[in-house]
Formats: sequence, structure tokens, C-alpha cells
Amino acid sequence: MDDFNICIMIFRTSPELLLNPVLICRNEAEKCLIETSINSLRISLKVKQADELENILTKKFLRFLSMRAEAFQVLRRKPVQGYDISFLITNYHCEEMQKQKLIDFIVQFMEDIDKEISELKLSVNTRGRLVATEFLKQFI
Amino acid sequence: MILLQSPSRYLLQILSTRVRNLEKGVELDCQWIEFDDVRYHIQASMKNPNLLVLSVSLPTPPPETVFFGGLPPEAIEAIKAAYGTVVHILDPPKDGFNLTVKLNLSKLPPDEEHRQELLGKIASIREVVQGAPLKSVLKQLVSRTVKSELNKLISLVHRPNESFFVVPQADKVTVVFPMRFKDSVDSILATSFLQEFVDARRTAGLGNAPHCLWSPSPPQELKGAPAEALLANAGFVSFVISPRHVEGRKLDRTVWSLSTFHAYVSYHVKCSEGFMHTRMRRRVESLIEALDRAKPDWKKVKKAVQTRSFKRLSINDGRATSNSRN
Repeated sequence: MDDFNICIMIFRTSPELLLNPVLICRNEAEKCLIETSINSLRISLKVKQADELENILTKKFLRFLSMRAEAFQVLRRKPVQGYDISFLITNYHCEEMQKQKLIDFIVQFMEDIDKEISELKLSVNTRGRLVATEFLKQFI
Repeated sequence: MILLQSPSRYLLQILSTRVRNLEKGVELDCQWIEFDDVRYHIQASMKNPNLLVLSVSLPTPPPETVFFGGLPPEAIEAIKAAYGTVVHILDPPKDGFNLTVKLNLSKLPPDEEHRQELLGKIASIREVVQGAPLKSVLKQLVSRTVKSELNKLISLVHRPNESFFVVPQADKVTVVFPMRFKDSVDSILATSFLQEFVDARRTAGLGNAPHCLWSPSPPQELKGAPAEALLANAGFVSFVISPRHVEGRKLDRTVWSLSTFHAYVSYHVKCSEGFMHTRMRRRVESLIEALDRAKPDWKKVKKAVQTRSFKRLSINDGRATSNSRN
């Protein structure tokens, strides 16, 4: 980013260049905020966390991803206030990468978050069941 | 390895090697530490290869648990009963240890099977010493005689500064574990595991296992316990042990399983976290591959990887290539 071409989403210097944000809600616990400007786009997600276990698994996984934000290029290190994870796509990203493939990537990312958290939860429950069964079997 | 094994593998290895190479007896001086802060020290000299000096240090008991003479109640009787003349207790123990014993390998039984069994039993010295008071309470369940006061709350140490509780009754013994974890993530994973114990018990085939309960607050058995013992961030687990769980060979196994229950749960919590880390790393790799597919020179990068078989391109290399185009 040079002096004449700053990311409008982050440095909100000219409010007239910001467009109306869109909020998509599945319910109070799951929502997606899309904020647009003329040269950048920020997508923030709030992921469902039904119980304490899902809560820590989500935090663990999203923190793992956010720490690798540089490798992901379009990911932010810190999410927007009130959300669990945020993406920032600038015009430079669109020049470097094919727009359709970039959209595919974001969608795959969002689906993978859900998939990974359910699979992590399943692995904890499966291991818990095995650990309990092996322990109790000793007494029979 | 799902279950924790009673004989200390390292100690068993040292003893077995020593017994096999008695003529070539070398100098030995080893110290090591095992889970829950149990430390061992073993010494042997060339002068008398049959004699070994073994010291064991146990986790520090909390204020509500008492160690008479530096050892759990009835530990000395348990050692004499388990080992006979092979093991001789030295008084006082080595500085910094709760127990020091002299092992006389010349007194081992002559036949291979009994010899190996006794060596295994020596390697399980932790179970014999630390489990002595619990074994004594459970033995009364077998003989249906009760020496200790009924319904009295007994506290036994299992981890540094932490104890679990035993309530002996005429026909059963209730064992209560306050489960504590320093890390909040560990405590949430442990809570999920502990609730599985209650669910698993209800499934078919485990009907004869001890009845078990989990509750976030102290159960009524702990009514007389000191205040610090009543705080546990992963709840309280109770097992009800019946006479059938401690008959014959099951007695020693039950003593070991209960003495190391908290360690068993902690071990599997840590394994679980390690596994999750591996999964997450794999997921990150597949997502980065998906991102790379969005780059127009992805096919070029892929081809380059195939031709230059010894150079592995990184994400940074890919980015540098695309920037240089502008």
C-alpha cells in the first residue's frame, strides 16, 4: 500500500468511500458481517458454540489459524469486535489471484471451520468413551 | 498404551539387566523422576554386585493427610509382606527421600518365572508403598471385617499437595476424587472425559464395573473435609467399590487404578491435545493449498516443482514470483 492507495476498510479516512455493510444472521449465535469500501472488503464470522467444549475448541482452532494470517494473506490476525474471525480482501489480492478461485477459497475456509470443530469435538468424545471403557473394564 | 502400567519400566529394565549380568556388575548411580513427582535413586557398586540401594520419594502430602514416620500408614508392613527377605528397609532413608531399601539379588527365587514376577513386583514399589493404606481398607472389604471406623473420611495423597478420599462401609467402599487442572482448557476436556465415565458405565457389558458418578460440586461423602479439598475445577468423581472388585488378583490392580486415576485422566487429556494439534496443522496445509490454487501461476509453480526435483518452493517463493510480474 502506498500513500495514494491506502486500504479504505482499515484507514477510514474518507467515509464517503465506505459502502453499506451487510449482516447475514442464521441466529443470534451465528452471523456473517460483510463490510465493503471502494477498494477493500472485510468479512467477519461469528461461529456457533453450543457448549463449553465447542467454545474452547473454536477458540483454539481460530487462534491457530489467525496466528498464521501471513501465510493466508487474506486473513486478519485479530477478528472484529464481537466476531470470531475476520478476512480482509483488498484490490491487490484481486489483482494477484483469480476472483472466482478466491471466492471458492473463502467459502471452503468457512465450511472447513465448521467441519474441523465438529471433528475435533467428535475425537474428544470418542477418546473419552475409550478411556472410560478401558478403565472400567479392569474391574470386571 | 492406554492404561498406565504399575511396574516402572525404567526400574524394571535396570533390575533385569543387573540380574542378567551379575558377574559383570558395574558401578551404578541413577536418579530419575516419574509422573506425579515420584523420584527414584538407585546405586550399586562393583564390590558387591548382588546389593542395590534403592530410594523412593513420594509426592508431598497436603495438610489433611498424615504421613507417620515419613511414609503412608501401613507402608512398612506392606513392603515386608510383598518382598520378604529380598528387600531390607534402611533407617533413616537417604536425604530427600521417603524410603530407602537394600535389595539383595542373591535372595531372589531360583526359578525364572518367580524371579521375573518378583522383579516386576520390586519395580512396582510405588504401588506397594503409596497404595498401602488403600489396599488395607479394600482388603477389609474382601474379608468382610472392618478394622477402621465405619463412614470415617480417610484422605490419601495421590499428587503433590492433593489427596483423594475414601469412605469405608460394611459392604462397599466409596472413593471420591476432586479433579483439579491448572489449565482451563485441560479442565474442560477432562470434564468431557469424566462425563463419559458415567455414560460408559451404563452401556451393556460394564454393569459389573464400579458404580460411578460425576458432579460439579462436592458429594455428600465429603461433608467433613477441609475447605481447600472442596475446590475442584473439573468436578468430583465417585467410584463405589464392591467386594467382587477386589477379590484375588483384582485387589492389586484396583489399588493401582485408583491410586493413579487422576494421572490417567491427565495423560489422556494431554494425548488429546497433541492429536488436535496434528489435525489442525493438517487442515492449515490443505487450506493453504486451496489458496495457492487461486493464484494464476499456480500451474507454473506446480510444473516448476516437478522439474526441479530437489528444490522445494515455499509460499514466500510463490509470492515473490507474482510480485515481480508487476
